[in-house]
Amino acid sequence: MKSLLRIAFAAFVVTAIALPAWAGDPIRKITVLSRPQAGQQAEFQSVQLIAQEWRKLGLDVEVRAIPWEQMSDEVWYKRDQWDSTAWQMVGRPERSDPDELIFNLFHSSTAKDGYNFAGYLNKDYDATAEAQRGEIDPAKRKALVFKAQEILSKDQPYMMLVHPKSTFAFDKTVWKPESVVNQSGIGIRNTWTFLGVEPAGAKKDLIINSSDNIKAINPLYISGSVDSWITELVWDRLLRVGPDGLPKAWAAESFTWKDGTTVDVKLKSGMKWHDGKPVTPDDVKFSFEAAVGGEAPMYKPFATNIDSITTNGDAITFKLKKPAASFVTSSLAKVNLIPKHIWEPILKDLAAKPETAESYQEQMPIGSGPFKFTSWAKNESVTLAANKDHFAAPKVDRWILRIVPNAEAALGMLRSGEINFMGEFTGDPQVLIDAAKKDGDLEVVSTVDMGFRYIAFNERRAPFNDPAFRRALSEAVDRQLIVKAAYKSFAVGSNSIVSPALEFWHDKSVVDSFKTGQAVAAKTLKDAGYTLEGGKLRYPGDTKETIAAK
Amino acid sequence: MKNFKAVGSRLLQLALVLWAVVTILFLMFRLMPGNPMAAYIDPTFTLEQQQQLMAQFGLDKPLWHQYLIYLGNLLQGELGQSFRYREPVGQRIWILLPNTLILTFSSLIVAYVFGILAGAYLAWRRGSWVEQAAIPLVLTTRAMPEFWLGMVMLAIFSFSLGWLPAGGTRAPGNEYSGFLDLYTSRDFLAHLALPAATLAIYSQGLPLLLMRSNMLDVMKEDFVTMARIKGLSTWTVMVRHAARNALLPVMTSFAIAVGYQLQGNVVVESVFSWPGLGRELVNAVAASDYPLAQGAFLMIALVVIFMNLLADLLYAFLDPRISHA
Repeated sequence: MKSLLRIAFAAFVVTAIALPAWAGDPIRKITVLSRPQAGQQAEFQSVQLIAQEWRKLGLDVEVRAIPWEQMSDEVWYKRDQWDSTAWQMVGRPERSDPDELIFNLFHSSTAKDGYNFAGYLNKDYDATAEAQRGEIDPAKRKALVFKAQEILSKDQPYMMLVHPKSTFAFDKTVWKPESVVNQSGIGIRNTWTFLGVEPAGAKKDLIINSSDNIKAINPLYISGSVDSWITELVWDRLLRVGPDGLPKAWAAESFTWKDGTTVDVKLKSGMKWHDGKPVTPDDVKFSFEAAVGGEAPMYKPFATNIDSITTNGDAITFKLKKPAASFVTSSLAKVNLIPKHIWEPILKDLAAKPETAESYQEQMPIGSGPFKFTSWAKNESVTLAANKDHFAAPKVDRWILRIVPNAEAALGMLRSGEINFMGEFTGDPQVLIDAAKKDGDLEVVSTVDMGFRYIAFNERRAPFNDPAFRRALSEAVDRQLIVKAAYKSFAVGSNSIVSPALEFWHDKSVVDSFKTGQAVAAKTLKDAGYTLEGGKLRYPGDTKETIAAK
Repeated sequence: MKNFKAVGSRLLQLALVLWAVVTILFLMFRLMPGNPMAAYIDPTFTLEQQQQLMAQFGLDKPLWHQYLIYLGNLLQGELGQSFRYREPVGQRIWILLPNTLILTFSSLIVAYVFGILAGAYLAWRRGSWVEQAAIPLVLTTRAMPEFWLGMVMLAIFSFSLGWLPAGGTRAPGNEYSGFLDLYTSRDFLAHLALPAATLAIYSQGLPLLLMRSNMLDVMKEDFVTMARIKGLSTWTVMVRHAARNALLPVMTSFAIAVGYQLQGNVVVESVFSWPGLGRELVNAVAASDYPLAQGAFLMIALVVIFMNLLADLLYAFLDPRISHA
């Protein structure tokens, strides 16, 4: 027994001496959060592939699949307790301006309780994000947006994976294919299509599906992405994001930057609310004041920068507190115009109550938009009728949304004509394409989305606080593998939060110059001082592991 | 008098059961992982917004305080406000419950009438080729997943033959002035046909097999032999003597099936885009919409408890041998 102990001691001494004195602790087992395969197949598969590549670097990786509700709770509210997580950003028209993502996702001011849940802190980046926000000159701003993308590529706070393709379909015997608009970064299911699509025959009702229930039809509540299809049609905005992703005058006749903090807007004349009353500059002023007034908390961030609004005839002048180049896209093209004569008494009444305007559902929503509200059968359908008096009157008679939770049923309904526009398909896009080939009447269009999928690293926790380590993990994974194996080629590889769909803002060089592969990653780790001992990756220098593996 | 007392003690039991259900529901959803705020996470979501929402939803108060508020509201018939829809839970349930009840009862009544008749017939024809062919068939329908059966029904009757609409309660764009107007329309009945048939096919196995085995038991009883000896016709023996007695357990199973079905409907409601309570319930649980999930579950629990009470009372009425004293 004694001799055995002696041998063990000797072995211990020998190993202790044999190990280089400068080797750090082995890196603990790290975890990646993902949503489960059942609901998010592509995400789950990506994470499995990524974990495989990371293991080759000498890491012990565990994939934890948990539902979104649980995952978001952990990532958002327990900011120092997770290692890395799969995440996604969806495309929305107002995100055509890169400010929202560049600022809110990575600026240090949002690290504590905002969207910078990764805890990325970089003074140089902060300064760049602030500068692009204040720069009105497009060319100068573009240079700053490019600089931000370059810093992110160097630091890799996120490991960008792909920009998925949005795939939608419609019945080309009902709708003329040339009248369907493909909005860049969004796809063919968009407001411009609903406004411009022309009937090919006698059928004039556009019947579209969604799998999610409508929560509210409320101009002061951002209640959900499908809900926003409706609010965008019933209510007008001063500007709209055009099919090219750039802001376009809409209810405004024109808009001009007078200086860095002043925007002059001229309202189109002759506009009417759906109840027949005229739309006035006073209504416009009221709409923006309602957004900041406290009764519409979700719109508040889009209008807080407004210092004052003055009207003079048809002219409306917005005076800003700070210069903000994105103001025209993220505020003027976002805030719904609402009739003062209807909402003023409602808001006055709500001011004395604990609930906000988000809880107020109009029986008969009144906007001034190209479609009028007709009816809403809860959890089943919403019907809108074309507003023939609108300056951009739609060519369809009615716009009918049907809630179809099951993807196969939705595809069957598209083929049988019960719906004629597939506004959402949660199944495999290839199934849709195959069905269209068999059917002959359907046209399928896939568009690169401005949204993206990524892995966020928790920069509050070693070793993810080291940019070199993050970079190596990111380099270890060939994006084409993810695109092909997990997304079945319905995606493009990414290394920038600005999608290639946003041509003007997208810095192609950061994507092209990013080299991947196990050898590249191994070199990055070696250069940063990480060592590999017996197949296990160790911290550089004499760094100790400070966090217990879960 | 005795009966009154029996009913009184049943009602007291019922109140206790309800209190337990209400308390379990309250705790269950709050102890489950997840957070109602998850739905609001967005690049523009601020701390101020979050605190405002927590206060509005009453989630800023300690759990015991939330529980007392919840009980107090329930006693006044208030189910609270849905987090997701920002509308009173009672209002939402009131819209969806009728759709679910119509689907449930229409399919179960068809299933039970068919099941009872076919079960009795098969018992009578015991050992014949009809029985030998029918029993495996019934077992097959029992074993088919509802989801799959629903998709097959859709593929055949809706997508291939085009006889019946595939989903919802009405043709797109049709408007009705109220429940009655909708439920009595041809449009509605056409939309009801497929989901109700799917549920009926799925549910008929239980009453059929139960009825058959009860009949077989009853037919061995002395009083049936006696009736035969008396020279009564087969029809009279079967229907007046055997079937009446065999029917009792089937009635109980109906009451239980209603409760079972209300929860099971969710699959069929999803396949046929039926705007019912089951689908809403699943959504509410997934989104941590506590008030709506509690309200919907409570409503289903109420229907189950009520149906069980009804079965108990009916039993005593149908079978005088059973007494509640």
